[in-house]
Amino acid sequence: MIQINQLSKVFRTEEVETKALNDVSLTIKEGEFVTVMGPSGSGKSTLLNIVGLLDSASSGSYQLLGKEMVGIKERGRAKIRKQQIGFVFQNFNLIDELSVYDNIELPMIYNGVASSERSKRVQAMAERLGISHRLKHYPQQLSGGQQQRVAVARALINEPKIILADEPTGNLDSKNGNEVMELLTDLHAGGATILMVTHSDYDASFSQKTILMKDGMVMSEKQQTKNIDIVVNS
Amino acid sequence: MIKNWIHIFYYNIKNNKLFMFLNLIGLSIGISGLIFAILYWNDEHAYDAWNTEKSKVFEVINDMGENGEWYTNPAPLGPHLLEESDLVASYCYLNNWYNGANIYYNGEKEYSEKILDAQSNFFEYFPFDFLQGDKASALEPNSIVLSQKLANRIFGDEDPMNKEITYSNRKMVVKGVYKLNEKSSYKPEAVINAIDERLKHNEDAWGNYNFGLLIKLKNPDSKEKVAKQMETIYYKNKLEPSARDLGITPQEYEAKYGGFLIKLQALKDIRLGTINSGVAEGQGNRQFLLIMMGVSILILILSIVNYINLATANAIKRAKEVGVRKIIGATKVDIIKQFLFETALMSAVAIVISLVIVELVLPVYNDFLNKDLVIQGGLIYTQLVCIFIVLIIMAGVFPALYVANFETLKVLRGNFGRSKGGIWLRNGMLVLQFAIAAFFIVGSYIVYQQVQFMSTKDLGFKGDQIIEIYLRQKNPEAVFQRYETVRNEVAKIEGVKEVSTGIFDLGGGARSSSSFEYKGNNIQGQNMAMDFGMLEMLKIPVIEGRNISTEFASDTISSMLVNEAALRVMDEKNPIGKSVTWNGEDLKIIGVVKDFNLFGLDQDIPPMVFFHVKTIDWMQYNLDKVFVKIDASKMEETIARIETFWNSKIDDEYAFNYDFVNKKYERTYMQYVNQKNLFSVLNIVVIIIALFGLFALASFSIERRMKEIAIRKTLGADTKHLLITLTKQYVVFCVIGFLIAIVPVYYLLSGWLENFVFRISISVLPFVIGFVALLVLTLIVVLGRAYRAVSLDILTYLKYE
Ligand SMILES: Nc1ncnc2c1ncn2[C@@H]1O[C@H](COP(=O)(O)OP(=O)(O)OP(=O)(O)O)[C@@H](O)[C@H]1O
Ligand SMILES: [Mg+2]
Repeated sequence: MIQINQLSKVFRTEEVETKALNDVSLTIKEGEFVTVMGPSGSGKSTLLNIVGLLDSASSGSYQLLGKEMVGIKERGRAKIRKQQIGFVFQNFNLIDELSVYDNIELPMIYNGVASSERSKRVQAMAERLGISHRLKHYPQQLSGGQQQRVAVARALINEPKIILADEPTGNLDSKNGNEVMELLTDLHAGGATILMVTHSDYDASFSQKTILMKDGMVMSEKQQTKNIDIVVNS
Repeated sequence: MIKNWIHIFYYNIKNNKLFMFLNLIGLSIGISGLIFAILYWNDEHAYDAWNTEKSKVFEVINDMGENGEWYTNPAPLGPHLLEESDLVASYCYLNNWYNGANIYYNGEKEYSEKILDAQSNFFEYFPFDFLQGDKASALEPNSIVLSQKLANRIFGDEDPMNKEITYSNRKMVVKGVYKLNEKSSYKPEAVINAIDERLKHNEDAWGNYNFGLLIKLKNPDSKEKVAKQMETIYYKNKLEPSARDLGITPQEYEAKYGGFLIKLQALKDIRLGTINSGVAEGQGNRQFLLIMMGVSILILILSIVNYINLATANAIKRAKEVGVRKIIGATKVDIIKQFLFETALMSAVAIVISLVIVELVLPVYNDFLNKDLVIQGGLIYTQLVCIFIVLIIMAGVFPALYVANFETLKVLRGNFGRSKGGIWLRNGMLVLQFAIAAFFIVGSYIVYQQVQFMSTKDLGFKGDQIIEIYLRQKNPEAVFQRYETVRNEVAKIEGVKEVSTGIFDLGGGARSSSSFEYKGNNIQGQNMAMDFGMLEMLKIPVIEGRNISTEFASDTISSMLVNEAALRVMDEKNPIGKSVTWNGEDLKIIGVVKDFNLFGLDQDIPPMVFFHVKTIDWMQYNLDKVFVKIDASKMEETIARIETFWNSKIDDEYAFNYDFVNKKYERTYMQYVNQKNLFSVLNIVVIIIALFGLFALASFSIERRMKEIAIRKTLGADTKHLLITLTKQYVVFCVIGFLIAIVPVYYLLSGWLENFVFRISISVLPFVIGFVALLVLTLIVVLGRAYRAVSLDILTYLKYE
């Protein structure tokens, strides 16, 4: 599904040149749940942003669903973002001026989904994530956990091929954090491909594969030993 | 404390250079507009303000109904009034025009264009300071009183008192020298007292409205009563005898010819009064003054709105500073003071800049208004202080209160940046700006259309290549003979195609107007006395019958033509050959002249009666010019030849003086052309200020939405979507502002168009153009700004917040 080869990213400012990614190569298969770990500044977010087409690589190759992504224009990237990718951020990144309902609905508007269909899907998604009674609220009126659930709802609403999560539990207490992790595990069980950045070993234990990064390089890749049994409710 | 404030202020300026600059420039332009208007206002309001008699002196105006207002009166009215009314202190007959003539002294001539003929008590009405002579007795028949300037021009260092000069072939003795007051409705360079003679000739002539009349009341409040008394005097002395002569009752007479309506206007109100006036210096342009005031206040509001908008928007950026200040113990009042202080600094700077602008543009402005305005005198400085205070209140208090009421906690938690506070205020202001801009765009387009209409309108005559040369009379007994000589000689000059005369001004009307009766209808016609060939020269067609011609002897004795307007009042289907009794003479109608614009386009085409000058003997006394049509290709040299001929053979006393018929007519609507030009300039100013504001506000609001934009981009919004999201609200405001402007613009411009009889009607075109222009400008500004925002790297905004 994702094929990264010799990918590098260099940030240039006036004084310094930072090599945030240094010849990274990795593969993520369809339906995999992969976590990225590593010390601060090791390039995790940079990697995720490039995979999510929010940023572009300096060199190397990145193939998504068999298509080369390096070098395509913003218009094309926007198209793939809205159709294939769902984002969840540490700081939720909800639009404060829009209600919960409007926030969740937004990606469908950009995807040209008919409005009757949109309302149905928002209701269903809210039901699934337990935020139905919050649809009329504004983000500022919700707890962190609730906000993150809205963000997850928004990321899932278009049924993307891949979900990218950058420290989704970073701003949450352990209880809310667990809820979000359970949600992601559920999604994974439902067949979603997930790439998640985290600092927590506990969170990482939910995934199948953990990539350890340091100084912009992939240090190791290990399959999860501990297997979690999941009740699949198909 | 102040040092700290100044420091913060400086810091803010440094960080918002562009916006501060735009803001300051906008404010300065707004203030300079107001200063311009105030200078004009002060100048006009200074008229007659010096005159101690200004509330007691009244101008007598006759409202003649359909025939307009007459500013002249018959000679017997004054004496009768003084005798019968104990409310009147005195009266003073005077010409309400100046004579321009040479004054001879010791064989030298000095031309004065403002010689006034008035009764001897003139200086009780206009008490100019006398430098020499006795104010009370200086003016008498055969004396002349000079203004200091003219006395200097004639006599130099010599003492003018009791010197003999010659004016209009009469010897006169200088009996006084006065210092002219510049702002006066009568501003003569010299005053003589020849009018008494003419008054005596007209002692009982109730029908000859020949003289300007001022009266002085004992008590200004009795003005209505005195007007009534005058109407009664007319009724008894004019209407009753006339009715008796016709053998009808006074009531029947009044029903047929109308009664009397007198208006008295106090000298203090003349310059800018709502009643028209006939004083020699003319009135100020009250409507234009009000337009200037209104427009400049609108522009100032626009720039103040900009200021408020930017200040409150900026305040959000400063929320943290304010929050911290509050936490360390600043009270609301402290914070309000600080913001007022900043506004005061800005305003002071803006006023200084605006004074520079005014100083630079003043020469152009003076040219435009035909004035000599200067920034001088205590009044304007007092007004500047008032502007300063008003600015601080209007521009400072809003943002100050707004900032002082920030909720400290919210601010410090950091989520204030996206709170809704102040958004309504700012959006409302933005709508107001759009409304003002729309008002200007649409309004000035309508003005443009009307001016365009006037300058391209078919006037019914062609004045191309025709000049009129002023011919001064010498011997009153042989005016026409002299004209004929001149005509025959000028016709021989190379390049001259046609020569004729007409005792009328195109754009100003005939020199006299008489009424006659036909089929029981009373026609007040313009007396269009002329020589053969005049109508042909002006290409005015005769649509029925024939024009006067040398081939018919009767055409200088008893023939007349009427125009279509006269015919309508006469109610005659077959006018040719009909007889008319005109001022006691039997005239026969030989033709009908097609209507043409004798007056300016602000007036309707009047009934006109045409005949040869010789037909009515006294017509020739008003003959004072010769119309000459010149070959277009030889214009300059031909005029030069005529001038040489003129100076050597016709008139060696006065300079050769001519005018183009076309240009003279254009001057009747010149002030509107000027207004159009002014509006075009103001339009640009307004649009620039409004766009400044829009740009700054859009920038601020987009900056605050950068994170939102980044999120939307993450979700896959493409550029088109984002631009729509960001632009949408401004388009809505633009539409609302435009809708708000529609009614006022329609109403006010309709009022303005009422100035004209010949006018356009307001169509949808100006509105469509205004709307499209406003929308396009808005889109350019907002889309430009939005596009830049959308193209920025989104990650920066996702990361930090
Ligand atoms: N826009 C940028 N300009 C310059 N340098 C950048 C930029 N973004 C990231 N970097 C640098 O690239 C490196 C990798 O940053 P990145 O955000 O990917 O780290 P991270 O692994 O996500 O760290 P953390 O765990 O703290 O989130 C860092 O050294 C960072 O300073
Ligand atoms: Mg990171």
